[in-house]
Amino acid sequence: MQLSEILKNEHVLLDVNVNSREACIDELSKLMENTGVVSDSAVYKDAVLKREEEGSTGIGFGVAIPHGKSSGVEEAGLAFARLSDEIDWQSLDGKPVKSVFLIAIPEEKAGNEHLQILSQLSRKLMHEDFRNKLLQATSSDELIAALDE
Amino acid sequence: MKKLLAVTACPTGIAHTFMAAEALDQAAKAKDVSLKVETRGSVGAENELTEEEIREAHAIILAVDTNVDEDRFQGKNVIRVGVSEAIKDPSGLIDRALEMEEKSADEYVEQVQNKKKEKGAERQGFYKHLMNGVSFMIPLVVAGGLLIALSFVFGIDAAENEGSLAYYLMETGGAAFSLMVPILAGYIAYSIADKPGLAPGLVGGMLAEQVEAGFLGGIIAGFLAGYVALLIKKYFKVPRNLEGIMPVLVIPFFATLITGLLMFYIINDPVAGIMGGLENWLQSMTGANAFILGLVLGGMMAIDMGGPVNKTAYAFAVGLLASEIYGPMAAVMAAGMTPPLGLWLATVIGKKRFTNEEQQAGKAASVLGISFITEGAIPFAAADPLRVIPSLVAGSAVAGSLAMIFEAALRVPHGGVFVLFIPNAVTNVLLYALAIAIGTVVTALFVVLLKRNSPQAKAAQANE
Repeated sequence: MQLSEILKNEHVLLDVNVNSREACIDELSKLMENTGVVSDSAVYKDAVLKREEEGSTGIGFGVAIPHGKSSGVEEAGLAFARLSDEIDWQSLDGKPVKSVFLIAIPEEKAGNEHLQILSQLSRKLMHEDFRNKLLQATSSDELIAALDE
Repeated sequence: MKKLLAVTACPTGIAHTFMAAEALDQAAKAKDVSLKVETRGSVGAENELTEEEIREAHAIILAVDTNVDEDRFQGKNVIRVGVSEAIKDPSGLIDRALEMEEKSADEYVEQVQNKKKEKGAERQGFYKHLMNGVSFMIPLVVAGGLLIALSFVFGIDAAENEGSLAYYLMETGGAAFSLMVPILAGYIAYSIADKPGLAPGLVGGMLAEQVEAGFLGGIIAGFLAGYVALLIKKYFKVPRNLEGIMPVLVIPFFATLITGLLMFYIINDPVAGIMGGLENWLQSMTGANAFILGLVLGGMMAIDMGGPVNKTAYAFAVGLLASEIYGPMAAVMAAGMTPPLGLWLATVIGKKRFTNEEQQAGKAASVLGISFITEGAIPFAAADPLRVIPSLVAGSAVAGSLAMIFEAALRVPHGGVFVLFIPNAVTNVLLYALAIAIGTVVTALFVVLLKRNSPQAKAAQANE
């Protein structure tokens, strides 16, 4: 299984306008609720925000990876938003965030497989050329393709 | 060239662990520095640091927000930071690590030796794995044994009455007992190979149970499964983007397949062979000297407690009941009672030889012993087979031969002390009880003597 298989086409928002961290998580969890990956976005969002409280998932370089493991999640999922205007995410490097990956992990059967796929995403994000591709993609297809390179 | 190591870990183990690892990898590559990073994420430890690598390393960077075992880095240069520090400034961390003063290799070696001395065998692989399996098995032995013993309270054959409370107690206890060997094997394998070892270990243990290989078969199954899983993990390489299927698909499937087939091909047949051979041998001894027959039967009862040798001796004695020969049955029961009783006595007179857990298990063993539930001794035997089994065999052989010499006779095939209250079930009750008592003392003395330098004794002392 590859990263592109859990980042569905319907989960990608390019140049969306949100004004806060909560609003951004809200938009993305709705997308995953629409495709059935998330069954209860309220429950799932609680888990994500709780994780944010423990420490920001703004990893620097303008990227944030909010994530939550919750019973409101049906299957492992990934959603992406590129923001038209950068927002504050209390990032490690203090810089505002432009790219957001929201990760959904089911409470039960949190299969290792998915966790390992997500660990690949984390590693990729540390590479500048990968981050640039996120910023330059002109379509969701192009963005998803960048994940598997 | 200075070699560096790092460990990364974060609370959820999903993202930061790996970002930090990648950041350090990249920074090291850019600087042309040798660096290996162990990640401790939610998939378990990956790319683990070996003892040799640690010995050769100049410094170790710990970028962790959770507790990781730092003992293994004693005597080495260690930089401890939060995981975000490694993401923010990996190259600064590497510089700091490189600038640390060289520590002599001797210091590390000395520390390691001290540590080993301190912790005794707790850290030595073989016993560590055994003790892990045993510690998960103990509750099953205690709960199952006590439930079975409890069923005897309603009368010695009460449990045969299907649907009665005694029957249910016996069934529940029996269920706990049937999990004993699978859990032992499963957690030995878990200790060796982490999570991927558990499935093959449990299955191997189940097969050991099914082919009647007893707990010794379970120990073999556990080590087999653990090392098979470990070898697959180490040498079976898949492309990076397929790594996800290793712990959930590749390792469990192949390790279980290999363990299962090995159990059938190398354990099942020999076990059947042993049982057949012993049976013929015992048959040929029927007319022999009573003392020797008691000695042999007694020893057999204690060798593998529930395994093929024990079962053969028991079946032999039960078979003779039909021919109205009751002596061997008495010998077999006495010999089956002394292992747990002797171990209980040993935990009382030789406390320091046992871990806390074992001392508690010892209390339950006394109840299981008087109920003729030999399994009460298994946790002790499994944790330290080379010292405990010979002791048990000695005590049981003495009890068995004395029972024969005293011409004790037993007309029912189970029950422990509870049969003593049934009129005419036992002949020469008092001498019979004496045989059991002597066997118990012999077992206890041997255990205490042999366990002087056992890993448990050292571990118990280290804990004080």
